[in-house]
Amino acid sequence: MQSYLKLKPLAVLISALTLVACGDAETNIVEKDPIEVPDDDHDHNDDHDHGDGYLIDSAGRLVVLSAASNHADVYDLDEISLLKTFSLDSELPALSASAGYRYAMLNYRSADKVNFIDGGLFREDHGDHLHDFEQDPALTDYEVTGSRPTHIVNHDGQTAIFFDGNSETGENAAVIVLTDADISGESSDLATLEYSINMHGVAKPAGDMLVSTVRRSDDENTSNAKVLPDQVAVYHRHDDHFHQEHVFTELCPDLHGAGQQEHHYIFGCSDGVLVAVAEDESFSAVKIDNIDAVGDLRIGTVYAHHDASTAIGVASAHGGGPAVLVTLDAENAQMSEIDWQPLTDATPVAYAFSHDGEHFLILDNQAQLTFLSEQSEGEQNKWVFDERISISDEDVSQMPEGYGFKMTVAQNSDMVYVADPIAQHIIAVDLHDKTTEEVVELNYAPAAITWLGIAEEEEHDHDH
Amino acid sequence: MNSYQKTKLALGVAALMPTFANAQFLHGIVVDRQNQPIANANIRLESGNAQVKTDQSGRFKLPANSGEQEIHIFTKGYAHLHQNIQVPASGLSNQRFELSQSPIEVIDVVAAPVHLSVMESATPVTVLGGETLRRQQAATLGDSLEKLVGVQTNFHGNVASTPIIRGLSGPRVMIAKNGLDVGDVSRTGPDHSIAAEASTSQQIEVLRGPATLFYGSGAIGGVVNVVDKRVPTNNQTTGEWSLEHSTVNDKNLANFNVTSGWNNIAVYADGYWRESDSYEIPVEPGIVENSQEESDGFTLGASYLFDQGYVGVSVEQFNREYGIPGHSHGGEHSDEAESVYADLEQTQVQVLSELNFNNHPLIKKVSTRAAFTDYQHMEIENGQVGTLFDNQNNEIKLEIEHQAFAHWHGGMSLQVKTSEFSAVGDEAFTPASDTDAFALAFMEEKHFDEFLLQLGARVERVEISTDNLLLPSLDMHEHDDGEHDDSDEHSHDHGHEHDETVTRVFDVEQTFTPVSLSTGVVWKFMPGYNFAVSLSHAERAPSAAELMSFGPHIGTGSYEVGALFELVETKGEHSFVLNETPIELETSQNIDLTFRKSEGALGFVFNAFYNQVDNYYYQKTTGLYAEFSHDHDHGDEHDHGDEHDHGDEEAHVDELPVYWMATDDVILKGFEAQVAWQASPALKLTLLSDYVSAELKNGQPLPRTPPLRFVGQVSYSAFGLNTDLDITRYQSQDDVAPNETETDGYTLVNLHFSYDLRVFEQETSLYFSVKNLTDTQARVHSSYLKELAPRPGRDFTIGLRGYF
Repeated sequence: MQSYLKLKPLAVLISALTLVACGDAETNIVEKDPIEVPDDDHDHNDDHDHGDGYLIDSAGRLVVLSAASNHADVYDLDEISLLKTFSLDSELPALSASAGYRYAMLNYRSADKVNFIDGGLFREDHGDHLHDFEQDPALTDYEVTGSRPTHIVNHDGQTAIFFDGNSETGENAAVIVLTDADISGESSDLATLEYSINMHGVAKPAGDMLVSTVRRSDDENTSNAKVLPDQVAVYHRHDDHFHQEHVFTELCPDLHGAGQQEHHYIFGCSDGVLVAVAEDESFSAVKIDNIDAVGDLRIGTVYAHHDASTAIGVASAHGGGPAVLVTLDAENAQMSEIDWQPLTDATPVAYAFSHDGEHFLILDNQAQLTFLSEQSEGEQNKWVFDERISISDEDVSQMPEGYGFKMTVAQNSDMVYVADPIAQHIIAVDLHDKTTEEVVELNYAPAAITWLGIAEEEEHDHDH
Repeated sequence: MNSYQKTKLALGVAALMPTFANAQFLHGIVVDRQNQPIANANIRLESGNAQVKTDQSGRFKLPANSGEQEIHIFTKGYAHLHQNIQVPASGLSNQRFELSQSPIEVIDVVAAPVHLSVMESATPVTVLGGETLRRQQAATLGDSLEKLVGVQTNFHGNVASTPIIRGLSGPRVMIAKNGLDVGDVSRTGPDHSIAAEASTSQQIEVLRGPATLFYGSGAIGGVVNVVDKRVPTNNQTTGEWSLEHSTVNDKNLANFNVTSGWNNIAVYADGYWRESDSYEIPVEPGIVENSQEESDGFTLGASYLFDQGYVGVSVEQFNREYGIPGHSHGGEHSDEAESVYADLEQTQVQVLSELNFNNHPLIKKVSTRAAFTDYQHMEIENGQVGTLFDNQNNEIKLEIEHQAFAHWHGGMSLQVKTSEFSAVGDEAFTPASDTDAFALAFMEEKHFDEFLLQLGARVERVEISTDNLLLPSLDMHEHDDGEHDDSDEHSHDHGHEHDETVTRVFDVEQTFTPVSLSTGVVWKFMPGYNFAVSLSHAERAPSAAELMSFGPHIGTGSYEVGALFELVETKGEHSFVLNETPIELETSQNIDLTFRKSEGALGFVFNAFYNQVDNYYYQKTTGLYAEFSHDHDHGDEHDHGDEHDHGDEEAHVDELPVYWMATDDVILKGFEAQVAWQASPALKLTLLSDYVSAELKNGQPLPRTPPLRFVGQVSYSAFGLNTDLDITRYQSQDDVAPNETETDGYTLVNLHFSYDLRVFEQETSLYFSVKNLTDTQARVHSSYLKELAPRPGRDFTIGLRGYF
């Protein structure tokens, strides 16, 4: 807690005793250290430097899924203690954090629903101060339903859940946009974009705007797999639904994956990437063709961070395998290969930006965590190999079938947590010191992990 | 109730009768003036605890010690009879007691060491029970009680109305359940609902005027005590259920309560469920948006009955979710449709016990009451918890009644109460605080021939503490000519300057020792009439909210600053500093005069009161406005460094008038009148009127004071059909505070029919009512939402109620 709470009497101001009729009243007031709040709209970091008593200094919490016994454990990273265990449905859900990092989202794709675990740590803005709360984790009753929820994207406090729909049952695709407040308020009228066709698409929320994919009729659609869209449109929110505002004419065959930087929305296509620019009322788009290094692969995933000037595209065969990483400079419409210097047989299993955007992290199947850093070369910024550390001493060939290393990034420190199904533990990697330490020992192989807590700054992690 | 059940009832009561060593018996008959036996009348000796009921022939048998005894006989429709009789060693038989008709319903206040009823006590009391309670009950306590003389509602859009007693409400009117603090946060804001339900209660007792003697500091203006049978005192199987639908808000209500048991065990359960939409009004826009409500709750109780009394425990779960109409943020943004609602939950455990000592030389009865309450109330704005109120309340009351000593009846009461209150969020205008109270009280009464003397004294110690009293630097400005230029007058946004705002923090411990004294005389100057005078001195410790508030209170649309602060002006700049003048107790000197006719076809009760309240805590308008930013999109805003001007556009700055908790001397005076005439066995006419004038000593009226009111009621019962017509006239209110507007008068007409059915040998009634028959526009002067939420339009209700 903050220092002022250690009652430091500065002055006894009043000690009054009054006799009124037969009763009396006595007042004792002791002044303590005041709360000083710099009145500075432009520097968010300062919020954490002064003690106003409302803030909680917590490392956060970890949600860990067990596939074997279908449960979710929530660990307290301050005390390193198990806070709560929740039973899950029979299908192992995909796990991710909500836009505000308060909730863990459990995506039960084939059950057509998303459930939420309240991590219990969250912050409210009370006008004159920020107010942190620390509560017990809870599996909420709230549920967002729709056909085949697949890509879940967070941006700027909002989450967009893309429901692919199902051609077999005739269910169409849809996008639902929600915030942590919607989850806590169990909102029943979430803003929804409804399509008249199914598709394996992706959507990026930004304020009242939603940039989402468009699947045209099969005879127009330039995608090889017709379930993939080939166009992008801007939608505007009107209460609980979205209106289409602009369709970019530039095509993006076999569109898959999206990232966002400022007003640039980057989508992976089989022939390159589409950069759509939507700023206020002006819309434009440009296509960056694939470079040779991409070869037969296609960029299917895009990562961006608001503190990084360029994005990263990942081209790999569907379902993993060797990967080609490229720097995507949306502003200058350029693509260049990243030499991430993988070990032999190394196949990436997870990617993430560090919370400050300084590093891009590649976790591979050889138990290596590779750090990339952004460097400027002349006019251009590029991501380059920085360092590699080993995160496990185990024999990686002992990886249980269906499992892999997983990682999650703390949003208030330099910590990254890696789940190791072989050693059955979770280690913390200090990105600054490049050290590792076991933090949680498990008696099962972790299937997925995600960090929850009070993020230090606004969240701008654009992976999916 | 059929005769079989009555026998069971009598047996049940008999099972509770204490065993008397060497007791004699008093045999008697209770008849009316026409010498007709009265069945089901209650007979009690003041010296003992035995209570029996008369059978169908009006006869009863009661164990009684020899010597002079004071007998108390009471039943519905008749005046209570107090009579002294000499019981010889051989006992008495064939004593005849004659009761007089009373058109004013007389129900005793339960569990008071001295007599409290509308007809007998020195202080004014009303008890709402039986069919009248059922007919008048509403979703909120304020609306349920507003037909009682001297009580009006602050009508908060059908969802959170609280009773106003003689013009006083809030922290001056205590709300209790079975004599124990309700433990909610309804005293701190008009939009906070009371955590008590009328539909499952047995009776609601209202003490008008200072009742600090019985209930302590928070009862300087009166008390509302909701009584139910959650801890059962007998185990015969009885119960009640009802189903109801109303049209004006599409309300559905279902509720039940049942008492039963076996051997020495009695059990109780009640439950209710109510759901309503926003209600319709006869004026534009046709509906009061966001006035919907959904409540449910249940109570389970069990007690162990033994010869000398009982001990029992109950647990209640109370849930209410209701819209907060008019929950806007300052004037400028009120057209934004915000869905703000409150979600209230309370769990209360009550432990009640009564132990009678028949042969103990000193002690007659020991009653213990305890409540442990966990209360939480969230205000949810746009799906986000805006404010979270939490109150943990614990209370233990021990009452010891002594044996009659030279005909003095009475006892002492010890009370310990603790409350831990916290509020976090937008509306957290008061810091978290603890309130601890300890009280000792004495109450005594004695009949001297035609006089009844009632005396009481109470001393209390109240400690209010917080370790986080905040004094922020507040930007305030005046509105000069209705126009103001933000950038010139106040310094809230200076672009890129790095101003520092400093909030001073204090640790506060505030201790009060309020003392209350009361004396009253009831003079039965001729049979059937009495005249009562009550003089009292009452003191109240201001509440934590009145002392420590500093922040925007959305419920009242104001920026509230407590009495621990003081407004100062230096070089034209206004600011709040710590108040260095002593904090004082609110103190009232009160005179209450009552004139009653308690017997015969015509009955009446007239009350006049005069209260002089010194150091009355009230919100004084400062003429200043405070800005506060209210971010609806928590934590989502961010600037990207290169666009420094758009931060200002996003800020949502509201302004609220600043009210400061000042003290001043206040005079409250007024009257209440009720006249009832039983014209025939089937027809009864009742007239009520009440009035209060509440002014500062300089003549300035206090805000939201209810207007003069007249009520006429006609009740007609024949062939199983009961018809009640109520016409209520509210006069216009032009005694208004500064910045308050006058309110027009209006007349409300309500009609109620109920038809007694017998279904499966059970007493059942089908009822139908129309409220606001003429679909009148009715704006409630005492409401914070006068402009926004008039009373509902014409409302049809149909329902079915059964007793078993």
